[in-house]
Amino acid sequence: MKQNQIDRVWRWQITASAAAALLIACLLGVGFGPVNLDFGSIIRTLLGLPNGLENEDRTLLLELRLPRVVLGALVGAALATSGAVYQSVFRNPLADPYLLGVASGAGLGATIAITNGGGDLHALLPIFAFLGGVLAVAATFLVAGRLFADPSTLLLAGIAVGSFATAFQTYLQQRNSAALRPVYSWILGELTVANWDVVKWAGFYILIALAVLIRISKVLDALMLSDEEAYSLGVSPQKIRMIAVAAATLATATAVSASGLIGFVGIVVPHLVRGLTKRATNRSLLSIAFVGAAFLVIADLGARTLLSPAELPIGVITAFVGAPFFLFVLRARNRGSQ
Amino acid sequence: MINIENLIVRFDNAEVLQSINLDIPEGTWSCLVGPNGAGKTTLLRTMLGMQPYSGSIKYNDREIAKNKSLNIAFVPQRPSIPAAMSVAEYVMLGRAKLDGWGKESAHSRNIVHEMLEATQLLGMQSQLVNTLSGGEMQRVLIARALVQEPEVMLLDEPTSALDLHHQISVLNKVEEIKATGVTIISTMHDITLGAMYAERIIIMQSGRVLLDGESHAVIHSPELRSAFDDRISVHQLENGRPVIIAAKRELTI
Repeated sequence: MKQNQIDRVWRWQITASAAAALLIACLLGVGFGPVNLDFGSIIRTLLGLPNGLENEDRTLLLELRLPRVVLGALVGAALATSGAVYQSVFRNPLADPYLLGVASGAGLGATIAITNGGGDLHALLPIFAFLGGVLAVAATFLVAGRLFADPSTLLLAGIAVGSFATAFQTYLQQRNSAALRPVYSWILGELTVANWDVVKWAGFYILIALAVLIRISKVLDALMLSDEEAYSLGVSPQKIRMIAVAAATLATATAVSASGLIGFVGIVVPHLVRGLTKRATNRSLLSIAFVGAAFLVIADLGARTLLSPAELPIGVITAFVGAPFFLFVLRARNRGSQ
Repeated sequence: MINIENLIVRFDNAEVLQSINLDIPEGTWSCLVGPNGAGKTTLLRTMLGMQPYSGSIKYNDREIAKNKSLNIAFVPQRPSIPAAMSVAEYVMLGRAKLDGWGKESAHSRNIVHEMLEATQLLGMQSQLVNTLSGGEMQRVLIARALVQEPEVMLLDEPTSALDLHHQISVLNKVEEIKATGVTIISTMHDITLGAMYAERIIIMQSGRVLLDGESHAVIHSPELRSAFDDRISVHQLENGRPVIIAAKRELTI
């Protein structure tokens, strides 16, 4: 089967290209802004070579832009990979990482932090958002009855829990109208809180979750079959789904708590990579992670520079790109099925 | 030989399979027949180890649930059809238990190639499975199950979504598989078709085995009509072959 070998080389080329795209995106991300930095100097600074950046430029690069770009890459990789995994687990190409109530739960947690936080909001908000997201997903499993009943029961339970969390969040906002603006701003997503501390804790959880997902990506093939066929091949689909959903939820909850709600990455990137590789999404998780990371770094660059010195919420940029792309995919699918 | 002894499966507190006892010789085709809810699919799922049970299911004197090396293939009634997966890739999944997930040995590639040829799918190996017709998909499912090199093959309503031409083509293929020594257990709604291919018919109703025997004997037994609440009638063709059809009578739904 020579065609198989050609396909494999092509797919590795795509993974390598995605990694290269991420590197270029990161370089653009740290280079451009209200003050542009010279790429040669950036590279020399990062590699510790002589004639690098100095003084304010060095601080701008290492303490402001680099942590922001790294956090953007981590969040983008987390959302894109989780979206791809959710699409495999729920056998639904439109599934996104916020499916099981993680977004609404995180939104509720963030609202509680904003309405009651007062003092150090930046320290409290991610913790509350993370707890809210994880607790909402735990509640979804609880409502679904069993740890892994079946994908559709879990989906409906996620909708119910999400609606409840959103209702509670609206109630809190109505009681405290001063919180409306910061909550709304958080919901649209932002990477302005990025510093090395946030990068460290977010990176810790996201990289663990991504490592688990990439490790089990091959066994996720079993979820493309019926449960009976998966069993006949020696795999318990329930266990695989549980591990996959737990890891994807950890990545999503961490991403949401570090950067707010950034839409469309989890749907657009897996579809884009699948269109290029012609492979089921779980078979290209590494490429999806790289492309997701590059996509969000570029989106953040747009958010920082389009209305400079003002800053757009990054969720607005991803929606501007994502929504038309989504419609394009939908039209292409419809044309294909006619 | 598959020996099922005093098999009981419970969902919550209800017994959905009640004291099933069956002996199924190797290399034979047994067809489970019965109305919806009779427990046919549950019996297949239990044989795969998906349902907790009491009693025993043994293959060559070893309990199936404890025998991880036993290769039982399953062909589902309603397949899960992934997007962006070619026919060859989908069929290759059947080798996962032998090769490991995500791996393909050269030997496996040869087996898949042979099986695609045997199921007349070779020309469409690069085609995406979500673009196939019902008959083509059924052949893909059978090819995927066959590359597993199973000792036992379970088929859940393998012909329910197919036109007559494809029904015959699929059942002929299963007959060829049986001839290689694979034990076949299928469920089917159509007793006439089941009796035409399987040498043994097992009639189930409400979680019990009502009738079990050689196909010809079961079809002509008076208990058959009572198993279907007198909603069937047996007719004889000129060549002596029996045809079972639904009896026309008042039905309350």
